[in-house]
Amino acid sequence: MSQQKLTAAFVHALGLTDDKVTDDLTYNTIPEWDSTAHMILIAELEDTFDIMLDTDDIIDMSSVAEAKRILAKYNVQF
Amino acid sequence: MTIPTLHGYQISLRPVVRGDIEQLRIWRNSEHVKQFMLSDNDITKEQQLAWFEHIQRAHNQWHFVIEYRHQAIGSCNIKTRGKAADISTAKHFELGLYIGEQRYLGNIIAFAPTLLMADYCFSELQAKQLYAVVKPENAAALRYNEKLGYAVVHRGDIIEMWLRQSDYEVHSKPLKSLLNRPTRR
Repeated sequence: MSQQKLTAAFVHALGLTDDKVTDDLTYNTIPEWDSTAHMILIAELEDTFDIMLDTDDIIDMSSVAEAKRILAKYNVQF
Repeated sequence: MTIPTLHGYQISLRPVVRGDIEQLRIWRNSEHVKQFMLSDNDITKEQQLAWFEHIQRAHNQWHFVIEYRHQAIGSCNIKTRGKAADISTAKHFELGLYIGEQRYLGNIIAFAPTLLMADYCFSELQAKQLYAVVKPENAAALRYNEKLGYAVVHRGDIIEMWLRQSDYEVHSKPLKSLLNRPTRR
């Protein structure tokens, strides 16, 4: 369930298709995931999982895999 | 005027000291940095030392080391624009930046040094306008500056951009809100 919500958040924030949202997807390696999109993504993830990320986590969220690791700290289970 | 140390947005900017100059030279000569410098020749140790001695005497430019999580990650600078000889009396400034640590290239933390310098220029130095010069092939720097509110004023061999305070305040707001949050460290 969390995986689906995570994928949906990335799809919505970055304007990607589902199949592009893999653990390997990395910030700033595709035009769709630039700094502006990153800010939108943070807002989307916070909204989806009802959390408030701290700045270190926003800075460290450099891939889908890293997003999962960080969200786990906020008790989101994958 | 003493060069200040600036803190904010999770980073610190401190004046360059002699012990930094070899690390700065290594970064400056690395391919990912020098390709976008206006002069892309390699810098020798002697040239670096001469540069450091020059900036110690110069009153029209301040050079900083960017520290994040107590580690140097790059360098940035404020220079007077035009003929102004002293930062304390100038009203037009040009900002420069490079991130030496590749893991932070393109990261949102790379906005922090410019936010700190621009805040200082507009609030403490009463800057009327800030400027940046970018090589046309440096698309990342163009996008970076545009996200901060810079507008292109001249396109040629070099692209010149300027930043008005009103545009900066609007454009920088979302970045500031993310970089100003509490941190666990």
